[in-house]
Amino acid sequence: MSDPILIQIDDVVREATPEEAAAILASQEEPSGDDQ
Amino acid sequence: MTFPVFNVGDVLTAADMNAAGLWLVKTQTVGAGVSSVNVTGAFSADYANYRITWTGGTMSATDTVRMVLGGAATGYYMTFVYGTYAATTILSNVNDNNAVRWNNVGAGSTNFASVRLDLYNPQATTRTLMAAQVVWPTISGSAHGFLDNATSYTDFTLSPGSGTMTGGTIRVYGYRN
Repeated sequence: MSDPILIQIDDVVREATPEEAAAILASQEEPSGDDQ
Repeated sequence: MTFPVFNVGDVLTAADMNAAGLWLVKTQTVGAGVSSVNVTGAFSADYANYRITWTGGTMSATDTVRMVLGGAATGYYMTFVYGTYAATTILSNVNDNNAVRWNNVGAGSTNFASVRLDLYNPQATTRTLMAAQVVWPTISGSAHGFLDNATSYTDFTLSPGSGTMTGGTIRVYGYRN
């Protein structure tokens, strides 16, 4: 089982929703330089 | 009394305080193992221009630090021109051309991480300009760009290119208008 994906809003750290987690994982698979 | 040198017992006047150039607007401690940090209430009409830093933290992977303003998901333009510590030539320009975020406003690794950038007019209804100094473990360079819309923003989000961010402090300073 993988670690939960955590997101922080000011002082509040919470586990990402499935939709948020999917978006984060998708964005981290993108290259660091975009030419869109 | 004249700033910036004060003597014991001097009266601190409004004129002296109004001459202060940089004010700490917000301090945010970064949690452990977070995939993004949203800092709210960062920008207001009190200041047109801002310095943002993240120091004292680390990242789980060697990668870039990315940035978005508010909910803006398009229109980010940036050049990241860098050199390597192991060679004398400038290697490359990594560009954002109408991207979904600024992809290189900082960098980090398991040993260190940092963000040091200026934003111009993020709260105004005009284009926001960004200028950053970026330090990787193997390269360093400068990133400059803008966000191509006229939206007013009050918050920003930093996130790692991969993995997570841990610790350190994000500080937002406002340049006095």
